[in-house]
Amino acid sequence: MPSRKHSWGVLLAGALGLSTAGIAVAPIAAQAAPPIVIGGTISETGPLATDGAYQIKGIELAIADANKAGGWLGRKLELKIYDDKSSAGTAVRLYERLITDDRVNLLIGPYSSLVTVGIAPLINKYKMATIEPGASDPSIYVAGNEWNLQGTASSIRYLDQLLPAAKAQGATTVALLGLESAFTLACYHARVAQAKELGMKIVYQTTYSLPLPSFASIALAIKNAHPDVVEACTYYPDAVGLTRALHEQGFAPKYLAETVGPVEAPYLKALGPLANRVITNTGWWTNFKTPGNDAFIAGYKAMFHQDPEYHAATGYAAIQALGAAVEGTHSLDQAKIRAWLLANEVPTIQGTFKVNANGLALGYAQDLLQIQDGVLKLVYPEADAEAKLLVPYTGS
Amino acid sequence: MLLLQILVNGVLVGGLYVLIAQSLNLIFGVMGVVNLAHGSFIVLAGLFTYWFTSATGLNPLLVLPLAFVVLGLIGAGLQPLLVEPLMKFGRKAELLSLMVTFGLSYVLLELALQLWGSDFVSVPYLQSSWSLGGLEFSKAFAVSGAFAAAVSAALYFWLNYTDSGKCLLAASQSSTGAICCGIDVRRVRLIAFGLGVGLAAAAGVLVIIVMPLAPQTSDDLTLLAFVIIALGGLGNYGGVAIAAILLGIAQSLSAFFLGGNAEYVLPYVLLILVMVARPERFRPA
Repeated sequence: MPSRKHSWGVLLAGALGLSTAGIAVAPIAAQAAPPIVIGGTISETGPLATDGAYQIKGIELAIADANKAGGWLGRKLELKIYDDKSSAGTAVRLYERLITDDRVNLLIGPYSSLVTVGIAPLINKYKMATIEPGASDPSIYVAGNEWNLQGTASSIRYLDQLLPAAKAQGATTVALLGLESAFTLACYHARVAQAKELGMKIVYQTTYSLPLPSFASIALAIKNAHPDVVEACTYYPDAVGLTRALHEQGFAPKYLAETVGPVEAPYLKALGPLANRVITNTGWWTNFKTPGNDAFIAGYKAMFHQDPEYHAATGYAAIQALGAAVEGTHSLDQAKIRAWLLANEVPTIQGTFKVNANGLALGYAQDLLQIQDGVLKLVYPEADAEAKLLVPYTGS
Repeated sequence: MLLLQILVNGVLVGGLYVLIAQSLNLIFGVMGVVNLAHGSFIVLAGLFTYWFTSATGLNPLLVLPLAFVVLGLIGAGLQPLLVEPLMKFGRKAELLSLMVTFGLSYVLLELALQLWGSDFVSVPYLQSSWSLGGLEFSKAFAVSGAFAAAVSAALYFWLNYTDSGKCLLAASQSSTGAICCGIDVRRVRLIAFGLGVGLAAAAGVLVIIVMPLAPQTSDDLTLLAFVIIALGGLGNYGGVAIAAILLGIAQSLSAFFLGGNAEYVLPYVLLILVMVARPERFRPA
């Protein structure tokens, strides 16, 4: 029988050994907790690169902010992003790689409806709850694509506040144009339907594809129809081309509104005074009193040395919503995350993230901006406006 | 008056099309080289013009002679390396040149992306119109068209009234016959390629004044040039000039009466019709 002294010594040695091992193991265990990897693609090159660059910056800032606050589920976040070259086909291949080879924990959607349309069935196939910050085309969010959750206002809401406002101020006729692309066509058809509902006369309407070297005769046809309102669902090059052509043909409607293009700095640089009083839309603005918005603006400027715009806000808000779901479910289980996002509303910098059973956004809205003396000002809804809507469009 | 304005719009656009097409017509007509990098040279010059005007604030038209000379010399430097070695393959040279210039177009595209990024950019120059007799003449298109016309006229004069130009025409009609007449066809091909690239660069300086450009628009410009050449006749410089103007007018009419999609698709519909009805237009004149 061992002596008591010997037993105590063994116990003491064992305790010391265990505690030493514990001290050695604890940091290893903490270091061993792998980061949560969020995968996705962005259009680093190709025609969508301009806005893609803003969206990914918003995502990167959100990841950095989340990591500063300790990450999710006590784990740091890591981003794994590939360049989809503005191509849906390339994005499909890359998302498959992210899911099957890289085995990322979570996904974030690409920029643009054009690219998201391509990956949506793949997302559903692998049942990954994916917030799509850059896809405003509502036709994506249908049964069969329900694992895709819209992280931006639907394009059918783009410029939707203009016609009622214009009608209230006496406008009766409208010209409508739309680029043949996923989200712009959805916007265009929604505006056509809205004009008819409001009883406004559509005096000219057309869709078009790019590139068009000259909008001169389209502008001439618009001038010939003499509408009060010209609403065009555009990207940047066509927004510039149309605005120039209207001016060159000698026509200035009372209201000139275009999507996407006027929000971008190159638009103002390209057009100078022609851009004055052009109206556009946004799902986010600097004066929104949404949680974290001021910190987002300050953080974005500090990190990227430029002002944020709404594509950056959609990227940031998507990560906010995803983080809320991960923390809310305490898991990375895709089904739980999706169910949580369907059942809950998440306050984000661009408003309330809320979707229906097919993932279509119900919470996000679109406001109106107007370029006034070279500066974008929020003009509608009036309750949130920082300036009055100036009429007519002068192009000078 | 409305119809006159539509015609004016079309002629102004067609004026720019002339230069876009003639520069490729020179290379294709003389050498039988399918230069798929044509649009890339146009875009490179356009983007350089944007950078130049943004950096200096100077008139973008000042870039035109510089772009013509610099890119023309680059073209003359590339021709003996990439294109001339293919000439010994005879009739196969056309297909081989297609593949080589296809590769070159992507190299140039990547160069443009690295230098200037993928954003669409535009030069804010002459953004208004002259009013004359109730008609509006876009200043940007009018000035671009005038330059294009001057360059095209100079090209026509050189080809038809100078010894060196006649040598080039001779080589385009029959390289064997040209050799027999003592013409150095290798030198002629080098000049044609360099000149064609220089003219494409000149077109690029003018294009960015009238429409936003980005590296990825190069393919569309190459295709447009081929369409106009097909309509006007390969190697037929007068025919291509007329075809360019007529295409501009046709697009203007279709845009006004049928809408934007008709304007966009018209060149390709015409190309199919011409290729089916008159395929000989794609053989050298």
